[in-house]
Amino acid sequence: IELEKSHYSDHEIRKLEEEEQLRRRKESMHDDDDAPGKTVIMAQDLEDKWEQKLLRFEAAPRITDADKNNDRTSLNRKLDSNLMLLVKQKIGNEELWLLPQVEWQPGETLRSTAERAMATFLGDHIQAKILGNAPHGIYKYKFPRAIRTEDNVGAKVFFFKAFLQSSDLSQAELKEDYLWVTKGELGDYLKSEYLKKVNRFLLD
Amino acid sequence: SKAVSPHALCSFVFLSSWLHQTVPCRGSHWQTSLLAFRASLPVRAQPKKKKKVDVKREQAQKDRMKKKIKKLEKAAPELIPIEDFIPPLKYSDSSRVRSLPPLSFEESERRVLLLKKWCLFKQKQDKAEKQAIQTLVEAQQEALKELRLESEELYQAAIRRDEGLFPFERDGPNYTPPLPGYDPPEGKCVDITKVYTQ
Repeated sequence: IELEKSHYSDHEIRKLEEEEQLRRRKESMHDDDDAPGKTVIMAQDLEDKWEQKLLRFEAAPRITDADKNNDRTSLNRKLDSNLMLLVKQKIGNEELWLLPQVEWQPGETLRSTAERAMATFLGDHIQAKILGNAPHGIYKYKFPRAIRTEDNVGAKVFFFKAFLQSSDLSQAELKEDYLWVTKGELGDYLKSEYLKKVNRFLLD
Repeated sequence: SKAVSPHALCSFVFLSSWLHQTVPCRGSHWQTSLLAFRASLPVRAQPKKKKKVDVKREQAQKDRMKKKIKKLEKAAPELIPIEDFIPPLKYSDSSRVRSLPPLSFEESERRVLLLKKWCLFKQKQDKAEKQAIQTLVEAQQEALKELRLESEELYQAAIRRDEGLFPFERDGPNYTPPLPGYDPPEGKCVDITKVYTQ
């Protein structure tokens, strides 16, 4: 389609003219008075040079080493989809895989709680952009009967989304186990109810 | 000094007439030498005339300029030509037209079927995207409702507009990740776009 709807470009006209000249010279054995003056570099030579350069260039591979080893703790895997941070946290008596969460202190807004959570899990100097003040999702659960008191029947977990700006996490000190997972792999780690609610607001 | 010259000429003629008859004497007492007449002649009446005429002339010039400006402003402003929409003349040469063989029947059939498949694919993609956005919004609305039940204050804080969000910048997706240690070739970029003023 590119060839159909276009006219000849300057480069192509030059190439055609040079081919014509070559043919004429071969047929009628002209004197070489044109050759050294004008066409020192032919368009065909240029094209060959460009092709050589293309063949020599090697792009970085899309499937990185981390993919081959299935090392889920590095950020360099699955470059074509988004990765989420999962942390193993102790809630009540159990150790569960969760999106990083921190208890809300009275006197601060939800967004500052989210920022504090990021600071605790990823280190202080993290460049991440939280999208907006409002939470994106919610998961509520009731405590098991043993811990329930008059006031605290259960807990509500509000989720915020943030984009990580810099991919340099060398300063981060993640004490517990952590994983970077895609949306499909979330199902391997999260509980079903939790997973259902979380899947609603996460895009791949 | 144009006005000075007639007077100078008169005095010179006078002097020359004198010279024929008598010894060359310095005629007027304010002339130091015969050759220096221009510098020393008194020019009394000229400065006053200059002031009046110049002021009048300048005012007339200003009025003319103002009238011209008014006329130009009344005329409708010229449309700025969009350079992208006007193909340059050198490309409408007939020598540049390609000569290609006409499309075969199979080729055109293949293209039509491909177009249909593409339409279907895009429609499904668009529908899926809209569905995803819908669930996103619903989840957020639910979260806000629950938050309101919890505490009004936090709800108000959450509803407030986030000033630092826009302008939002993010690097677009590349097909291959950046090569570590790649040194791009240096060059200079000269901007030659033409700027039109109305």
